[in-house]
Amino acid sequence: MTHWLLKVEKLEKHFLLHEPARRIPATFRVDLELQPGRLLAITGSSGAGKSSLLKCIWRTYLPTGGRVWLREADGTVTDLAAASEQKMLALRRTEMSHVTQFLRCLPRKSALDVVAQPLVDDGAPPEVARERAAGLLTRLNVPAHLWSVAPATFSGGEQQRINLARGLIRPVRLVLLDEPTSSLDPVSRECVISLLRELKMAGTAMLAIFHEPALVEALADGEVRVPPHPDLALDATATATACVAAAGTSGLVRHVA
Amino acid sequence: MSPLPDAILEVSGLARLHGPGCGRCVAATGPEAGTNVCTNCGTVVACADIGFELMRGEVLGVIGESGSGKSSLVRLLHGDDTPTRGAVRFRDPAQPDAVVDLLALDARQARRLRNTRFGIVYQNPHLGLNFAVSAGGNIAERLLMSGEKRYARIRSRVAELLSRAEVPASRMDELPGRFSGGMQQRVQIARALATDPALLFLDEMTTGLDVSVQARILDLILELQHQLGVSMIAVTHDLGVIRMLASRTLVMKTGRIVESGLTDQILEDPQHAYTQQLVASAL
Repeated sequence: MTHWLLKVEKLEKHFLLHEPARRIPATFRVDLELQPGRLLAITGSSGAGKSSLLKCIWRTYLPTGGRVWLREADGTVTDLAAASEQKMLALRRTEMSHVTQFLRCLPRKSALDVVAQPLVDDGAPPEVARERAAGLLTRLNVPAHLWSVAPATFSGGEQQRINLARGLIRPVRLVLLDEPTSSLDPVSRECVISLLRELKMAGTAMLAIFHEPALVEALADGEVRVPPHPDLALDATATATACVAAAGTSGLVRHVA
Repeated sequence: MSPLPDAILEVSGLARLHGPGCGRCVAATGPEAGTNVCTNCGTVVACADIGFELMRGEVLGVIGESGSGKSSLVRLLHGDDTPTRGAVRFRDPAQPDAVVDLLALDARQARRLRNTRFGIVYQNPHLGLNFAVSAGGNIAERLLMSGEKRYARIRSRVAELLSRAEVPASRMDELPGRFSGGMQQRVQIARALATDPALLFLDEMTTGLDVSVQARILDLILELQHQLGVSMIAVTHDLGVIRMLASRTLVMKTGRIVESGLTDQILEDPQHAYTQQLVASAL
């Protein structure tokens, strides 16, 4: 078996709020291993901490405990949970990409330029970056008449595809996807699936939060079920408890393949 | 202690006290004490224990409420004010082998460095521009101070700088008072960039501008940062501005840095009680 590219060990996150003083659990003890060219689906009920897991890996959240090992292209292994800010910034530029649930970008910039920006930041000539952006937007079924418009006025589904295109335009080794198709129609969803399949073939490793079983079926090589935090499970509804019981809480990682 | 190879600025133990000072001032003030006035001697501690590094090409954000010491910090670093103690080391990317101790310079050397290697954009254009002199004259002044004497060369450079900052070069002979607020900020940016500085200070640069103008100025700054690779320290109380501009952010309160981190982490997973309150208060 190929070496893992990302290995998460006992990752935990809780928030300490000062006013009022409270401890809010977010993610409880996640373990996973991800190989190049594979996609692991992250599943679990709403509020179980799926997005928190991705944010801990991207370091938008500071993990409370555990380790997040990333093996870089040159073989260097870094614990993202403990990496310096400068190291994180460098890795975000070169090794990984995070497609968040909602698009956030500079106002008044055209959709095409928003998508092209990461490549321009990388030093690509603007016309080359725009050409690549246009190719991606075409593949993602974004109508060409929208390209010159700022995405602020776009529908949820259109914004989601702009966000996805921006996140995928740079070639990186690890992609974190937070519900990349949640507001898409079936046609656009198929476009996304085929694009993600292609990335997998090219060797990109992906961690993706999926809600629809069909997507897990179509793309995932394995599934990571994030159980609700035990502190939360105590006051969770009976339904949630039933779901956890059905899923089985023993093994957190279940490989489908 | 020498700066990291990629650090352009290294600040340590920087403090500015206004008043007699009594040896207890720093201990008696700060975020825990909830004040920056020494209870013992009445000295105002504008900032103390300030330490951080700024990397080459990086935009570092500084946030905090009014009176937190963020503008004082910029004034100290830019040389508008003299620290009570501390060290500021500057490694010019143009001369990477020479590390300059900013506080050891005499007045002439400090002025020269400020006029050629630093640039600043103030919230109030009256601080950054001379309103009795034309927009072009304001920019030319900086070129003259850096040693350029040829009139034609200065004029063409001024025109170039203004158009880069998206001000019509045809208006270079007009007084800044005839420009809109956004345009005055652009003239300040053109002036700041005149000498190809290594380090740019942005002090609440977009505060008070309407949002559409603000967005275009941010876009301009990001583009310049990308094209020129200039390092920047951006002070603001606007969290949206910091999110768009800065890769890392320092949070200040009552003259101290209470927290620092990646900007998205500061905004989404703030650790310090004050930062949590600040982020939760944003509209």
